[in-house]
Amino acid sequence: MSELLVPFAYDYMVKAIWVSALVGGVCAFLSAYLMLKGWSLMGDALAHSIVPGVAGAYLLKLPYAAGAFFAGLLAALGMTLVRTHTRLREDAVIGIVFTAFFAAGLLLVSINPTAVSIQSIALGNILGISDDDARQVVVIAAVTLGVLLLKWKDLMLLFFDEAHARAVGLRPVALKVLFFTLLSVMTVAALQTVGACLVIAMVVTPGATAYLLTDRFGRLIAISVAIGTATSAAGAYLSYFLDGATGGMIVVLQTVVFLAAFLLAPRHGLLAARRKATGVAGHAP
Amino acid sequence: MTGIVAGAWNFVAVPLSYGFMQRALVVALLTGAVCAVLSCYLVLKGWSLMGDAVSHAVLPGIVIASALGLPLALGAFAAGLFCAVATGYLKDNSRVKEDTVMGIVFSGMFGLGLVLFTKVETDQHLLHILFGNMLGVTARDVTETAIVAGITLAVVLARRRDLLLYCFDPKHARAVGLPVAWLHYGLLVLLSLTIVASLQAVGVILVVAMLVAPGATAYLLTRRFERMLLIAAAVAMGSSVLGTLVSFHINGSTGPCIVLVQAAIFVIALLWDQLILRRRRGRPDLRPAGASNLGQ
Repeated sequence: MSELLVPFAYDYMVKAIWVSALVGGVCAFLSAYLMLKGWSLMGDALAHSIVPGVAGAYLLKLPYAAGAFFAGLLAALGMTLVRTHTRLREDAVIGIVFTAFFAAGLLLVSINPTAVSIQSIALGNILGISDDDARQVVVIAAVTLGVLLLKWKDLMLLFFDEAHARAVGLRPVALKVLFFTLLSVMTVAALQTVGACLVIAMVVTPGATAYLLTDRFGRLIAISVAIGTATSAAGAYLSYFLDGATGGMIVVLQTVVFLAAFLLAPRHGLLAARRKATGVAGHAP
Repeated sequence: MTGIVAGAWNFVAVPLSYGFMQRALVVALLTGAVCAVLSCYLVLKGWSLMGDAVSHAVLPGIVIASALGLPLALGAFAAGLFCAVATGYLKDNSRVKEDTVMGIVFSGMFGLGLVLFTKVETDQHLLHILFGNMLGVTARDVTETAIVAGITLAVVLARRRDLLLYCFDPKHARAVGLPVAWLHYGLLVLLSLTIVASLQAVGVILVVAMLVAPGATAYLLTRRFERMLLIAAAVAMGSSVLGTLVSFHINGSTGPCIVLVQAAIFVIALLWDQLILRRRRGRPDLRPAGASNLGQ
């Protein structure tokens, strides 16, 4: 029994667990919207595009959030330019831009390996996060959470029915800018926790799981946040026994929860659908 | 003048005097060729995310194969195919959108691969799997890459018209009696094989760039498919070789260098398309985004 409590004896583990839980919860909040709009690729692309900014910021000893934000903005600009000037499909445009940015980041790191390691950018390094970085993550997550709690109904209205949102006096463009700003700053925070390659799970999987469990959006957000927080805390805790791979552990847990919901969800699960199908067949004359 | 010639000679010949660089360039050429051909189909079909997903999903397959002493290519191939099939199954049996399902499946598999890696005794380096290890290519790696790339290329080129029709217009393909389901899974198999062939050169994380950029670049420059294949192959092979040489000289990672050279060529093609081709046509392209002779 006492072996299970060992991780709590280490300050770095306690810090990793609650920072992960916070980031996981806020990312899950955003995932409810992303999943709804089918914007999963955007989350992935953002997470890769900010890598050169993070690498550059570490190199110049600037706050990494500023560098990440700048790189994310450049990537968004690049995608918009390419999309408006070519007849390429959107997924190809996003694919080209984000891989080019990611490659630039990796090259920067490989040329100057002292500032930050490739591994911690790609796979996260929450167990070794410095106090400074942890502080940035916590501030980012807290501010994002506050804004989301104030604006979640407006955003919901906007993403469900933009015309209606405009009719009731919301400003769609301003709200969208706000949403993508929140998404990109949370991506930066998630990069610290699970790394660039796994951010997509943090901003997609909890929302999709909740979507299988409820039909009401308010409840969807609550379930999603609960799943995100719990899996992230548990993943960070379990990674102590694996000597690392925190991001991998968190994402594996999230996937397991999703699969459980896929099978067992009371109304939208596979088994429920099977039961309904056989029930209907049984009643047929 | 002699300075330039000598400089160019040093740029190419000095690296080539090393055995590991010769092997690296062979692998670069092979990878470039096979990725370029596949990328043309993926760009037309709108499957860029599929390339991204399958390439991440091969990680647990590689780790398990290396633990069991099987060829890595076999594990990678099985895992890549599993990802594609699982995505299709989950999408058909739940109300979650396809891109979301794909994101869940591939990130879950990638995460599983990372977790397995910490628990499995293996002689593989995680960073080599993730980012490639072009400069550490052995003679055996060259042979493996050549076999996988050769098979993939031969199959794609033999069935290129059927695959094109399938990507271009699946309904029409079905109407003329092509086995659409076979083509669908055939393309997925070919995609997995391509990713396996590219592991050595660029690794699982950057291969998606090789699977999108050459096709997209060629798509800007021509509207004929045969020409698109040729341009894509030229772009991919050229940038693979150039990127490898550059990485040797600047002492940086090889995969990112290749991807950045490709991106630079894409930008040049974009400018060329905007400045030269538009003017030659004499009027702006009024067609809606995405519509073209090559189809949706």
